[in-house]
Order: sequence, then structure tokens, then C-alpha cells
Amino acid sequence: MRWLRRLASTRLTLVGMVLLAIGAGLSYDNPEHMPVWVLATPMALLALNLSAAIVVYPAIYRNPGLLVFHLGLLGICVLAAIGRLTHYEAHVEMSKGQIFATEAANDVRHGPLHMGDLDSVRFVQGPWTVDYTSRLTRGPTRSHVLVPDEQEGWQEIIVGDDTPMILEGFRFYTTFNKGFAAVLTWIPDEGEAVTGTIHMPSFPLFDYKQSNSWQPPGGQEIKFWLRLQTAYDIDGSWTLDGKTSSAKLVVNTGEERHELDPGQAVPMEGGQLRFDELTTWMGYRIFYDPTLFGLFISSMLSVLGLCLHYWRKFAHKPLATEVLYGRDNVSAPGVTHKTDADAPVQANQRNTVHL
Amino acid sequence: MSVTDFPELPWMWAGLAAYMGATVMAFRGVITMENIGALSAPSRINQQVVLACIVIGIVLLTISLGVRWDRLGHGPFVNLFELLISQLWSLGLIYALVYWRVPALRASAVVVMPLIWILGTWVLFIEPADSRFPPTYSNNWLWAHVGFGKVFLTFCLVAAGLAGIILLRSLPLARDWFRGMSTELLDQMAWRFMILVLVFDSLMLIAGAVWAQDAWGRYWAWDALETSSFMTWLSIGAAIHVRMTYKLDPRIGALTILAIFGLAFVTYFGAPFYSQAAHKGVI
Repeated sequence: MRWLRRLASTRLTLVGMVLLAIGAGLSYDNPEHMPVWVLATPMALLALNLSAAIVVYPAIYRNPGLLVFHLGLLGICVLAAIGRLTHYEAHVEMSKGQIFATEAANDVRHGPLHMGDLDSVRFVQGPWTVDYTSRLTRGPTRSHVLVPDEQEGWQEIIVGDDTPMILEGFRFYTTFNKGFAAVLTWIPDEGEAVTGTIHMPSFPLFDYKQSNSWQPPGGQEIKFWLRLQTAYDIDGSWTLDGKTSSAKLVVNTGEERHELDPGQAVPMEGGQLRFDELTTWMGYRIFYDPTLFGLFISSMLSVLGLCLHYWRKFAHKPLATEVLYGRDNVSAPGVTHKTDADAPVQANQRNTVHL
Repeated sequence: MSVTDFPELPWMWAGLAAYMGATVMAFRGVITMENIGALSAPSRINQQVVLACIVIGIVLLTISLGVRWDRLGHGPFVNLFELLISQLWSLGLIYALVYWRVPALRASAVVVMPLIWILGTWVLFIEPADSRFPPTYSNNWLWAHVGFGKVFLTFCLVAAGLAGIILLRSLPLARDWFRGMSTELLDQMAWRFMILVLVFDSLMLIAGAVWAQDAWGRYWAWDALETSSFMTWLSIGAAIHVRMTYKLDPRIGALTILAIFGLAFVTYFGAPFYSQAAHKGVI
């Protein structure tokens, strides 16, 4: 069992902590581009060290507070690892009226053991508003969303900022990435009309380039530019709201330039393009980690264990004055004793405070 | 920068003056110690004056914070000026409670008050610019995070104060200031506070992680503050392990505690210098 004792040694704990500190330093502001082992190796080492220490040291396993503290830390290491293996992160842009579909998610990153069922997530994007104050300081975001209710109908909820929408364990967060979109219908000379949306860049971040392009089937690239009328006010308070905004769609085929109001169409090579309406889109960040609650419980238990341990250790050794002024049979000024004889306490009776 | 634009400033200046009074009186107390047998300690009157000055400072800083809060409509959570004035208030408040309830630690004021005054001097040179309250800050976990953080930093300050006494008394100038105190027991007391530091630092990190998960969709992202505060937590844990395992010379222990306080200080007040925003998502 010598190897187990070595594995449980405090020296190894310190080595693990130093390695973890180095890993943390390397991960600063750049965790995405750091190899996993930079943090995983010291975490694994510390988890092994902790496990061995719990088994080997009676001071830990016979002491409920210390045992809970160390088990809590071990739990954090294990759950953090499980979290990384099963997590899912992505972004999605949702137009008003759009039903969420997994295929719409982009910038997807997930752990090798991810088993969340994003396909079963259903919601419909509604309108949203964002408040701004002077110098474009963003205020509260209120995104209206329809989610399934318990009677197989829909209920409206409002999400935004620090209030995510949680569906099937997936957390949807509104982001600063949101803006306007043009709903367009392409009516080909032959065949069925197709309706879709062209998302313009984030607004008001890119208010100066509300443009995008699209190439119809068999046709040439069409450039779009939205000439927006919003409540935008660089010096005052205003609300970004699709309902109170309007726009003209400038369509440029390279040879011709057209300005369209909603409902207007323009003939093009191979068909007709109709600008149906101005709408909005909201960018969400999707996050899934099944260990979140466990991590919280584990870390709280860990702190409670530590408190329990030191409470039991120090409860009968309060921060008394005599502890400092202890060697002599004299109390320090400014201190009232509450012993029976109202007398100073002997130093050697108190001189046993150990960490 | 005018008083008309920033009506909280005169209250802040008055509060800092009261803290300065406490600092001067704390030094006066140890320099003109009363001898009682083999001991020496600041007089009872001196201790009461120091405590009174700190309390007056807290009251004045409370008014200053209240005026600014009323003017801007949000608490002091966003820019460096607010961070400093808020910490001056909370460090004073929690230290005053410790000073009042644990008379044995009162001599630490000669170390603690000058350390607080680092912030006091700093805040005088900072533009008290108005700040905008980010929508992600309207979260109850922010209060828990900030509250635990304030207790953590103050207990770290108290431990640093005790560690400072251990180091100061080895200097010829201050040898007589703390006569009668046991270095061993000062050391034990300082480390007992370090345990509290570990507890409240842990609680601060937990509350911060829950807030970050709600506010920015991730509980940990290794931003400037998160990395630095994790380093601080690790260093506290490592130092306590070393203290428990090895026979640590009190002066080495004191230097370790001061180094940890320095790290915590940099975490709190250094992040704005190497990070555009204290936390990602603020802007």
C-alpha cells in the first residue's frame, strides 16, 4: 500500500496545484485553443490524489467535515470532466415566426459523449425589443418566445439577458447579435415560388452596412441593402423594436438598382423578386451541460464540510484576547472578561490553538 | 471633475479623512503604548477613538455611496471608481466589526489601515465617471458574489494585518510596539483567518459561477478575473496544506499570507488594467 500512500501525499497535492495553476495561466482568455490535457492532467492527478487521501488518512475519513469537504472537491473534479465530455454549445439565429430546428444551429461544439436531445426542442420565435441609452449602451432585452405548454398548446414566455429559456436541459441565451431581416419571395418564370429571409448584419452594431446578397437558382448574384427607419438615437434613450421600424429594400443586380417597399416586386432574369416584409432575427447562444446542478451541490457541500470541520475544531476556542496576550497572567486593555471570577485567563490554558 | 457633477465626492473625502484619523490614532496607540506588567498595548481610549473614526468613515462613505446610487440608479458594481469606494466602505465596515468584537486583533490596525489607505489614495486620483449598469448585472447572484467577495477580502486583510505585526516586530523601529504578544499565537490567529478566507473565497467563486451561467451562458470561461481569482483560491488552498503539513516559520507564514493578500488585491483591482472589462459580457 506504499504506492497508495505516495499517491495520497500532500507533496503530490502541491505538485497538482502548481500544475493546475500553470494550466489555468495558459488557459487565460484562450481556453478554446488550449489542448485539453493542460487542465485535464492536473485535474486527474488531483482527483487521484484526493481519492487516495480519502482512503489512506484517518484524519479525513474519520472526520465528517473533512470527509465531506474532500468528497465535494472530488465530486467537482469528476463532474467537471463529465461536463466537458457531454457538453453542447452552439449559436442559432431565429427569425420572427421561425420554428426552431436543430439544423439551424451553427458553430456547434460538443463533447464526445454528448447525449442531449436537441431534436426534441421546440419553440417559435416571436418579436423582441432591446432598450438603449445614450452612446448605444445596451439595456434589457425582451425576447418573446412560444414554447409548448402542458396541454399540447403554446404559451408565451419572455427571455433575455440573465433569464435563459431552458428546454430539455438546453439553455438558450439571447445575445447582442440580433437585427433585421427581409422576407423575400422568389417567383420563378417556371416552377413554384419560394419564400425565405435574408438576415442583415447585427443591428445597431453594424448599422452602417445593413447589406447582404443572394443568388437565385440559375440567376446572378443580387445585392441587398436595407434603408432602415428606426428609433435609433446615439445621444438618447430609445428602444429597438421591429414593430416600430420600417425599411426600403434596395436591390442591386449590378446593372439595375431598385428601391422596394414591402409588398413590391421587381422583375429579374429568370423570375420576379418580391419584398414581402421587414422582420427581425435574434441570435441565441445554446448551452447544455447536465452536470450544472451537481456541480453546484458538490461545491456547496464542500464548503459546508469545511465549515463543519473548523466549527467543531474552533467552536470551543473563540478568538479570545488572551490568546494573543497569553504568556502572562494579565489581560490586554479594552477587554472585559466573562469568567466566573471576572479574572484574566491563564495563557497556558488557551495556548493550544492549532490550525 | 466638479462637486456639482459628482455630489458624492465631498462625502467620500470626509470619509477618507475619518479613515486617516483612524490610521494616525492607530499608530499613535502603538507608539505610546501603555505598559501593563510585561505587556504593552494601546490605551483603551485610543482603541475607542480608532473605532469611532472608522465608524464615522463608514457612515460618511455610506452617504457617498447612497448619493451616487440615487444619482445613477444603480449600485457601485461597474467601474474602478465604484469598485474602490465600495471596497473602502466594506473593508472598513467588516474590519470595524472584527475590531469591535475581537479586541486581541486591534493592534493590527497599524497594518490594516495603511493597506486600506492604498485604496483611499488611489480613489482620489480616479475620475469618478458615471457608469452604465449592464442588464446582466440585474441578478440576485451578483449580490451574493459581491457580498462573499467583500467578506473574503476583509478577512484576508485581517490575516495580512496579523502577518504584518509578525514581520513588523522584527524591525528595530517597531520592536516595542507589540511587546507581550506571542508570535506563535499571532501566527495561529492569522491562519485561522486564512481558513475563513478560503471559505468565503469559495463561496464567492460559487456564487460568481452561478451568476455567470445565468448572465453569460457559461459558469467558467477563464477571463481575467476568473483566472486570477482561481489562482488566488489555489494559492490559499496550497498555503493551508503547507501550513498543516510542514513546520512553517511564522515569518515565512506571514510572508505567504501577505503574498496571498497581494494576489487577492491584484485580482480585485488589477483586472481593469489588463482586461477591457472585469468580466466578459459587461459591454
